[in-house]
Amino acid sequence: MALTVAQLMDALPESEDREIEELAVADRVADPRSLASMWPVPVGRFHRLRLLGTLQAKIGAAYLFHWVRGWFRNAEENKRLLAETHWKTALRVLDSMTYLRGAVMKLGQMLATLPNVAPKEFIEALDCLYFQAPPMHWSLLRELVHNELGDDPENIFASFDKQAFAAASLGQVHRARLKTGEDVVVKIQYPGIARTIREDMRNLALFMLPSRLNRDWDCLKDQVDDLCLRMEYETDYEREASTQEAVRKLFSEDDGIVVPRVFREYSTSRVLTMERLDGVHLDEFMATNPSDDVRNEFARKLLRSGYRMSYTGRLMYADLHPGNFLFMPDGRLGLLDFGMVVPIEGEFWELMRRMDRGFSTGVQADRINGIKEWSWITDERQDAEPLRLLDQFTDWTWRSRSTIGEYDFCDEAEFRRGIDLFLALLRTRFARGRSQTLSISRLNFGLASFLYRLKAKVAVLPIAEQEVRATGWDRSEYALRCDA
Amino acid sequence: MRITTEAKAAMRLKIVETAKLLFAERGFEQTTTRDIAQAAEIATGTLFNYFPTKEAIVQELVDEALRAAEVRLSEQTSSSAGTDLEVSLDEELFAIVAAGLRALKPLRTYLSALWQTVFSPLASATDDSDSFRARHLECVSSVLVRHGFSADVAPNVLQLYWTLYTGVLVFWTSDKSPKQEDTLALLDQSMRMFAGWLIAERPPSRRKKSSA
Ligand SMILES: Nc1ncnc2c1ncn2[C@@H]1O[C@H](COP(=O)(O)OP(=O)(O)OP(=O)(O)O)[C@@H](O)[C@H]1O
Repeated sequence: MALTVAQLMDALPESEDREIEELAVADRVADPRSLASMWPVPVGRFHRLRLLGTLQAKIGAAYLFHWVRGWFRNAEENKRLLAETHWKTALRVLDSMTYLRGAVMKLGQMLATLPNVAPKEFIEALDCLYFQAPPMHWSLLRELVHNELGDDPENIFASFDKQAFAAASLGQVHRARLKTGEDVVVKIQYPGIARTIREDMRNLALFMLPSRLNRDWDCLKDQVDDLCLRMEYETDYEREASTQEAVRKLFSEDDGIVVPRVFREYSTSRVLTMERLDGVHLDEFMATNPSDDVRNEFARKLLRSGYRMSYTGRLMYADLHPGNFLFMPDGRLGLLDFGMVVPIEGEFWELMRRMDRGFSTGVQADRINGIKEWSWITDERQDAEPLRLLDQFTDWTWRSRSTIGEYDFCDEAEFRRGIDLFLALLRTRFARGRSQTLSISRLNFGLASFLYRLKAKVAVLPIAEQEVRATGWDRSEYALRCDA
Repeated sequence: MRITTEAKAAMRLKIVETAKLLFAERGFEQTTTRDIAQAAEIATGTLFNYFPTKEAIVQELVDEALRAAEVRLSEQTSSSAGTDLEVSLDEELFAIVAAGLRALKPLRTYLSALWQTVFSPLASATDDSDSFRARHLECVSSVLVRHGFSADVAPNVLQLYWTLYTGVLVFWTSDKSPKQEDTLALLDQSMRMFAGWLIAERPPSRRKKSSA
């Protein structure tokens, strides 16, 4: 089912503002500092849309539209028309969300190369799926700090860097020093962006998936709602601070895993002040040509941190991208960014227990049982193909965990297999599954791509088996033995 | 009996301070000139000698606050002069307005009394040169000059700026977002838009090579 870009463009709904289109001004001004880039560029359908003004972004939207429309192929005419109207509105909402610019463009770039997407493109696209707030100058930061913390930064902190040290998705990160001497980073949100995102998410969810088609469609809707909810979580720094403190408690010095301490007196829902960790990101770390031992030790720490969070903390780290990990010079692994962490509780926790039985053994019969429960698979004929793909995809996801001995994460063909299975699943439009399915897929891909880039070759099983003990589950019947 | 200038100034101050308290306590709308006179223990007629209307008192309060802000801003600018960080045009304009907003904060809810006069987009250039509008635009002009625009900035440019500025003020006084954060975003975007437009409109000869 390879689609050409032209076919995709045709799938985009017709714009309704013909008359205004005439007013559109092209990129008259070359000065990049001007706002010309925000002005509409007349290039056909939906050219008044700002966010979707680039070809890549249009491809992203068109692909999504094409995909959604496929759901309605067999629906009644009136349902289909209604859906298209809603979809157009959703597109408009989406378009006003300029803080998604980077994400939409990257996704479009990737989708444009489907189905031949390479692991590298896939990984890059995953990395970019976050918000992008406008940059803030010092005068704006001063006002924000004054509003949030009650005084100017130069009075509150012993020192405060005027230049941002890193971009955060909702704002930026600045280095500072407290009057008590601690080196900290201060993460500050662009004013009002949290509220804007929350409102947009609600609108989007409202318009995008309003109709009831069938069971699969309802599941998809649950998953999108879940995604929106988690994006909302990410906008609340107070919530993030609490999670960060909870995760910090999960690790002791021996683990070699650190979560920065939060300074509550200097934090609000818009400002997060925390201990500064010394370290570099994955790419920079790899550029130093670290030895196998050093790389694998970091990989083990990464895996341990994930399992510790799930099994002891009952928290899922849904945003596993390389910007959130610091390779510290003393060999410790620094964990950052707890905005997207979701609690695993109630029924979800129970499911986790049953899925442990289903997936951790690596035995196909167990796996099939697990998948059937997770995705409500029936014995009907149309479920046979999704079941086959899900089985393979789940096997791919869990294989490292059930392998006795070392597992090689940098096998490109194996990574590619995962992507292909994922895309094949997308094409079946099979969407039945729990609301957490999307987060879990993202987590698994994030983990796989991180370890792939880290060129890791480690035994996962002993770490997982050690960490899962914290759950107190009775696993005597099925647990894999590992003599590590 | 002649009243000395000092006594006059003291009386003005007393009235203004009393009004400030009453506005804060009861709200601007609920406070009458008679209330103010009573609280200041003077005759209403005396009050009118100093301030013909309640709005005139607000104007005095605003003027006082903004003059303080102007002083603070110039101190701030001179203290950061010499640092190597280049400040962009939109940031400088932002800083001017933000300093004013901070100073006006205690008066935020009754600034609307001045929409028709001091803060009207139509406030005319014929006002005396010491008016707030004149001082503010003077400050903006000098920033523009510093950023390479000719000293005789077109009046339309300043009028456009003033319209944006008063628009932000109006928005601010009724901004219900937490800590009026939406105003900061609006101000940031307005100033970026204004600076971006201005730079784009600059005659080609004056534009930087890189943008050609
Ligand atoms: N405690 C810290 N010590 C050192 N660097 C930090 C710290 N916190 C954040 N950073 C730096 O700032 C960057 C962004 O921080 P963080 O990931 O928390 O922001 P975010 O808004 O969640 O952004 P994103 O969603 O892109 O991850 C990090 O990648 C890291 O480089």
